[in-house]
Amino acid sequence: MIDVLPVLSRLLEAGEVIVLVYFVGVNAWYLALLVSSMLELRRHLLLIKGESRHLLLSSTLSPTISILAPAFNEEASIEISLRALLALQYPSLEVIVISDGSKDRTVQVLIERFDLVPVKTIYEHRIETKPVRCLYRSSTYPSLVVVDKENGGKADALNVGLGFARGELVCAMDADTLIEADGLQRMVRPFLYSTDVVAAGGTIRVVNGSEVKLGRVATAAVPGNMLAGIQVVEYLRAFLFGRLGWNRLGGNIIVSGAFGLFQREAVLRAGGYLHDTVGEDMELVLRLKRLSRERGGPGEIAFVPDSVAWTEVPESARVLGRQRDRWHRGLADVLWRHRRMLFNPRYGVTGMFVFPYYAFVELLAPAFEAVGLVTLAFGLAIGLADWRFAGLFYLSAYGLGTALSAVTLIVEDVSFHRYESFRDRALLFCWALLENVGYRQLTVYWRLRGAWKFLRGRKDWGVMERKGFRGVPAAEPRPL
Amino acid sequence: MISQHILDLVMLGEMILIALAVGLYFLHGVWLLLTQRRLQALTDVARSSLARLVTSGVVDPAQIESLRKLPRGVQVTAFLEVSTNLSGASKERLRFVAQQVGLLDYARKLCENWLWTRRLRGTRILSRMDVPDPLVLKLLVDRHPAVRAQAAEWAAAQPSVPVITAMLRLLADSATQARFAVQNALLRMGAVAAGPLATYLERNSGRAAQAGLRVAESLADARFAPAALRLSRTDDIPIRAAAAKLLGAVGGAPAAERLSELMSDAAPEVRAAAAQSLGRMQHWQGGSLLARGLCDSTWRVRRQSALALRALGAPGALFLRRALKGDDRFAADMAQQILDLPAAAIG
Repeated sequence: MIDVLPVLSRLLEAGEVIVLVYFVGVNAWYLALLVSSMLELRRHLLLIKGESRHLLLSSTLSPTISILAPAFNEEASIEISLRALLALQYPSLEVIVISDGSKDRTVQVLIERFDLVPVKTIYEHRIETKPVRCLYRSSTYPSLVVVDKENGGKADALNVGLGFARGELVCAMDADTLIEADGLQRMVRPFLYSTDVVAAGGTIRVVNGSEVKLGRVATAAVPGNMLAGIQVVEYLRAFLFGRLGWNRLGGNIIVSGAFGLFQREAVLRAGGYLHDTVGEDMELVLRLKRLSRERGGPGEIAFVPDSVAWTEVPESARVLGRQRDRWHRGLADVLWRHRRMLFNPRYGVTGMFVFPYYAFVELLAPAFEAVGLVTLAFGLAIGLADWRFAGLFYLSAYGLGTALSAVTLIVEDVSFHRYESFRDRALLFCWALLENVGYRQLTVYWRLRGAWKFLRGRKDWGVMERKGFRGVPAAEPRPL
Repeated sequence: MISQHILDLVMLGEMILIALAVGLYFLHGVWLLLTQRRLQALTDVARSSLARLVTSGVVDPAQIESLRKLPRGVQVTAFLEVSTNLSGASKERLRFVAQQVGLLDYARKLCENWLWTRRLRGTRILSRMDVPDPLVLKLLVDRHPAVRAQAAEWAAAQPSVPVITAMLRLLADSATQARFAVQNALLRMGAVAAGPLATYLERNSGRAAQAGLRVAESLADARFAPAALRLSRTDDIPIRAAAAKLLGAVGGAPAAERLSELMSDAAPEVRAAAAQSLGRMQHWQGGSLLARGLCDSTWRVRRQSALALRALGAPGALFLRRALKGDDRFAADMAQQILDLPAAAIG
């Protein structure tokens, strides 16, 4: 035992140094992103201050947008969601609802409420998909197309939608995403500004706790539920400093599957969405980016912070765990598929900085965090570390994360200021503090589970249980 | 183990950072609460003062003085809000008040600032107020594309020869931020821009022509016909397709004749555009050509031909029904789908 202790002590010390160095490195990245995001946000706010978007609304030159809304068992909410989509403020809009083998009355509800009539089912087969059962057009809504197809998952449904879309741009979304009335007007801007933009993403906000009326968020509020509340902070951090920061550095590679705008022809040329991955949205964006370097053509990914869509997040640990597990599997899968981009100068900023960031920071972070926590617990158990040291270690590792969250809240407050009451302010701050006590460690576990499942080749999605929006009934569970 | 002194320092730094962030967060909340209420009240006062000044048509020095005393931000918000809903004599009165208040001089000063953000702000104020200031004309060639785009927006309400000439020079702008704004502004100018744009199209080709063709199609003026006919014979496929669409918008016998030729073009994009245009023109004499387009090897051409036949009315429907009984299964399917479409879905 006398011989083992010094060895163990040295091992523990080495482990802690590695983990701390990793934390310092990661936090340095985060700080760089934070500074970059603040500069970008300032530029963006100055650019949009006082702009008149009504000119875009009245112009026949505005690009046509086809919204692709995959729906699976959305009988309870599809009518309200669809009416909200049809009422979006954009001049030339086509809405394509793709019922992905719904087993409930989703299609019947649509037929009854939107005067649908069946038309001969033929479309342009540029991507292989599951068979389409029937195509419907509306007698009262010229821009509405409804496709009833066999179940094949979200990626398959979007690929079918691409085959029917006529717009120059396609907006991929989830059927239960609530897009703000002017969301598309705002999101289309990068496509008007540059011909090199192939995709654009907007900000996703958490709808839990907010009041929803007729498919629109009437009053934004921070949820009282702890899990949902912490996710509000997470989403703000991810979008307001993560994506915005990468925007300025020229390396966005994520467009949320819940709300993103793409050049239709570029997506079709790239072969559409992949079926055999659980990270189909990130995979598509990375493929578009890669192909633009290999074959030429547009390859810029823009993030538009003031274009907003709202989504419901899980409020139970079980469902949230499945979601995070799937996200991490998706990340691992996408990075593995495109591994040749890693440190490859051919792919510019993406290959040299963004890809390594996602590989070494986002993908490996849970492993390093787990090693740090286990080492610390082990050191405490055998008496090689005292509680004071453990506390200090914990705070130094997670403290900067808390500070970053707090700064993100300030950035949100200064820029978009969606949460106005003192209650919301206090709640947000509480959730930012509590995130690092238990929640973050849980996400480490879920993400490690996801990595393990990836290594075992699991590709299931899990089921999202919806509680429904405030003022709107809940719908059936749907794939996450 | 790692030195506790280092950990102490790290923790102290983080605690200070967190404390600062929290303090700032809540202080900003209090500041917002206080200033927003005050600014809202001042903006309400400014709005009603402006409404009175603009509707009465009488210049009340006391009211102008009270507007002048307001913070610049409130002035800008109120004037820009009100200006959106005004035109003609009312807008002229608003500009007069803005001049008296000093807002227009402030905007002019901003336009000359070395920071692009300030130049953008200044141009935005002059543009939203439709101020015919030659200073903005110079900003059409500003080094920042956002400023150029804003100046182009201003130009839409100032359709004079030098402005249109400057705008046409910008059509081929490599920074597309300005190009959309330029296209849109030319479109909003309407018929005034048609003559110079027709001349521009006759003299240009390539990307420069493509940007102009899109505007010309929306303006649909007969003066574009010669340029459209010329450009429909270029080697560039997107240009030929755009010219075909313009021919459909312009109409006339030469256009119909050329579109009929383009139905046999080697490029499917051009054939599809020609079919679409024949439908737009409701050129029923082209029915048999469009019926042949139904059997085209490309989906887009088949679809555009079917839609064009449907647009022709009864003669087109006859061709579509005949295709249902034909040997070509693809043509029959397409004809069936287009015949099935409810009237509201055609367009």
